[in-house]
Amino acid sequence: MNETFLCTANDLAIGYGKTPLLSGIALGVQPGQILTLIGPNGAGKSTLLRTLAGQLDPMGGAVLLDEKNLSDYTGTQRAQKLALMAPHSRRMELTTCFDFAAAGRYPYTGRLGILSAEDKRQAHSALERVGAAHLADRDFNRISDGQRQRVLLARALCQQPQVILLDEPTSFLDIKGKIELLTILKELAHGEHLAVVLSLHELELAQKIADTVVCVSPAGVSGVLTPDAAFAPENIRALYGLTEEQYAALYGAPEPPKPEANPAGPQFEHYVRSGQKLLRCGYTTGTCAALGAAGAARLLLTGHAPETVALRTPKGIVVEVAPIFCRKTDTGAECAIRKDGGDDVDVTTGLPVIASVVLEPDAPGVRIFGGEGVGRVTKPGLDQPVGEAAINHVPRQMIAEALEREAENAAYTGGFAVTISIEGGAETAKRTFNPHIGVEGGLSILGTSGIVEPMSQQAILDTIQLEMNQAALRAKNTDGPRRLVLAPGNYGLDYLASALPQFERFPVVKTSNFIGDTLDMAAAANFEEALLVGHIGKLVKLAAGVMNTHSHTADGRAEVFCAHAALCGASREVCATLMDAATTDACLDILDGANLRTPVLKSILAAIQLHLDRRAGGGFRVGAVLFSNQHGPLGETETAKELMTEWKM
Amino acid sequence: MTRTRRLAVSYLALAAALAVLFALNLFWGSVSLAPGAVVAALLGKGQDTLSMNIILQLRLPRAVMAALLGAALSAAGYLLQTFFANPIAGPFVMGISSGAKLAVALTMVVFLNRGMLTGSVTLIVAAFVGAMAAMAFVLAVARRVQRMSILVICGVMIGYICSAITDIVVAFAQDSNIVNLHNWSQGSFSGMTWANVRAAALVALPALAASFLLSKPMAAYQMGEEYARSVGVNVKPFSAALVLLSSLLAACVTAFAGPISFVGIAVPHLVKQLLGSAKPLHVLPGCCLGGAAFCLFCDLLARSLFAPTELSISSVTAVFGAPVVIGLLVRRNQEGAR
Repeated sequence: MNETFLCTANDLAIGYGKTPLLSGIALGVQPGQILTLIGPNGAGKSTLLRTLAGQLDPMGGAVLLDEKNLSDYTGTQRAQKLALMAPHSRRMELTTCFDFAAAGRYPYTGRLGILSAEDKRQAHSALERVGAAHLADRDFNRISDGQRQRVLLARALCQQPQVILLDEPTSFLDIKGKIELLTILKELAHGEHLAVVLSLHELELAQKIADTVVCVSPAGVSGVLTPDAAFAPENIRALYGLTEEQYAALYGAPEPPKPEANPAGPQFEHYVRSGQKLLRCGYTTGTCAALGAAGAARLLLTGHAPETVALRTPKGIVVEVAPIFCRKTDTGAECAIRKDGGDDVDVTTGLPVIASVVLEPDAPGVRIFGGEGVGRVTKPGLDQPVGEAAINHVPRQMIAEALEREAENAAYTGGFAVTISIEGGAETAKRTFNPHIGVEGGLSILGTSGIVEPMSQQAILDTIQLEMNQAALRAKNTDGPRRLVLAPGNYGLDYLASALPQFERFPVVKTSNFIGDTLDMAAAANFEEALLVGHIGKLVKLAAGVMNTHSHTADGRAEVFCAHAALCGASREVCATLMDAATTDACLDILDGANLRTPVLKSILAAIQLHLDRRAGGGFRVGAVLFSNQHGPLGETETAKELMTEWKM
Repeated sequence: MTRTRRLAVSYLALAAALAVLFALNLFWGSVSLAPGAVVAALLGKGQDTLSMNIILQLRLPRAVMAALLGAALSAAGYLLQTFFANPIAGPFVMGISSGAKLAVALTMVVFLNRGMLTGSVTLIVAAFVGAMAAMAFVLAVARRVQRMSILVICGVMIGYICSAITDIVVAFAQDSNIVNLHNWSQGSFSGMTWANVRAAALVALPALAASFLLSKPMAAYQMGEEYARSVGVNVKPFSAALVLLSSLLAACVTAFAGPISFVGIAVPHLVKQLLGSAKPLHVLPGCCLGGAAFCLFCDLLARSLFAPTELSISSVTAVFGAPVVIGLLVRRNQEGAR
């Protein structure tokens, strides 16, 4: 069922003074969940907790308590729903543990704070709940640290909160005290359905108790992570800035280093936080090729093989790596750079990309060729014309720029001829989609930003869930049916903005490739109507019932076109060309040629509607709007048509 | 319920002590009067005007004033202790009484030099202004200094500065006023009129009632400012109220009786020990009863010990109050080391 988030942060910025310490924080905690904040000292865990507790005003964004803005609560209302347990250091005069715990009844007592029989009963039961009933009449100053933390917890429980926030509750406790306290918290969350948010320093304990984790580092705050993702060694090392040795000393040996790794060379260290966790970025084959070309050129022009080569990628990030080798050949020089996919390991990771450079003093300019292991374009519709090496235009530009810079530094006015090859590329390419899309004989040299930004599946799903929750909150505050716009990616969003601006007032959720999962989430969030706006290249897969449109999962785009064209009476030849088409736009061109575009699209749209309805299971109405960047609007499904008319009113 | 009984017994004991001391203050004086005459005067059936006057115009207003100002002073001390989270905070040691004293002295001299009499309202306003000025200074220091002992030293220094300026001011006063002013600046309950009592009561009683109504947030505040905020106390107006009320109470006392030392620290401490509770709800009424009784007791000693010479009230309260403060400091130091 649809679980509500009790305590949510939306695009929250926190800090003291003028500039926020951390911003862009998004998190939520549900009843019965324990959310653990981990991160180094001084990163802002306490500040975050205090902002969630309403002790500090947000510097941006909002904190929602039970779906209402925290600042809309009076202090008493807030204290009845949310309790903060912060470290207590003050000496209490003549105060018994019972007195101390009963102070938590503050939001319920009258003008003078006199305890009623019910208040006393609550205080006793809270003490009992934390196993401190026998301490009731003891002086609060004369109990152990472990007992003190329990009495503090009892005081918080006396507020009868739905959310309880704890700031490092286990500090200064011995191991027994820590375990006892965390066990109580676990019972409170899982047994009594409290939402618990706590900051912890003890990672091994955090791992045992956490249902979800948020990492707080000076660089930023992660989204809500699963414990597995959060406590992955790479994440912990990055979060606390530990070297591999330091980490190993604490938590056992990590996996043995890869034998082919070049220990002398600097590793590319750039991290992204894909809304989720710290992931190490990698660089593309295009970046490798440009780096290799620069290395080889420098050897030729200066006579020295460079220790490291560096370049600024189109994304603006500088990549500096040590070549595997950089040596002279009969005609010029060659330099090899190892492809590094970062945390996004794919088939090309670890392959050496080799650039062989020959100086051409009489022919200025840069000529680029594909060598062994680099594919060749055999079908139209790709980045390069048929017959060319599969080196996309951005990498070509990067190679040319790198070489021009080397030439400038060495005051060389001639040109270069570069041949890019990938060792083992032909073999590896068979495991990719290259043969299918029309690149034969090797891998492609590609990448538009030069950087590989990894993103884990769970991370994406969590991000979608977060967006869905926010959309649900927005929809709640509007009258009429709960409406939602879904778009797989930026193409869809751009199209929405340009072609359907009237629908921008509805909440929009980016589904990424997880269209089926997003539909489930929308159903769980009680949406009644949803409009899916997407590029045909993605959405056509829905016609085959493929609800995860990532190419890792399934493709079937050409098959869908082919099957529906056949149903509409296309000839065998048309079907065959469709099966061979590299892109959906190419398919549309073929259909236009056969005068079949309208009936085939109609047939495909009907199939999409069928599968959408099946997934929605009658829970809500959903329709799809299709477009292509080249061909513009392509039509909408039956339900989409209805929804668009109704929504306009 | 042992705690409820202990509270009840303690309150009764304090009330009884107050009643007895009040009576003693009426019956005992430099002019010895027969108990019968005192009772008769109180009942309005006195035979001779002299004893009637002594009882109704001298002893009775003086006793009422001592009780009222004692209560106000103890409560002011307790509010300050809550605000600073420290049992050795008080209007006298923090220089607040001295600030009020300086302002009152200045006002008196200015008015007297122009041949005007200073009314009760003027005195209270002047004292309140002086108290607030000293309080502002203490707060400014407190923001920079975390350690209470330094804060207390600062308070004592303010006291000295104010006293020195007061002395200089007195030197410029006309001869006829000097004795009056000097007596006052030492602290005394003598010469109270019913008009004074009325003015003091109009200020002190509402302030005491308001303090009592703050006892719920005060209890939460005792557990830390952050905790108070987390359970819904609006900390800024609340702490402002604490500062204003304590300054007002201390100013009221100083305006009429001059600076009186150590009552604000000793009484709340003794009351807490007696009640076995530190809850404001319990302590504030106890402070009022105890402070009233304590001041009546000290005033009794001040005027009867070396009669007909009167001691300044501060010399007596210091003898009883200072040891309590020293005891508190020593105990804190031991606990701090723990």
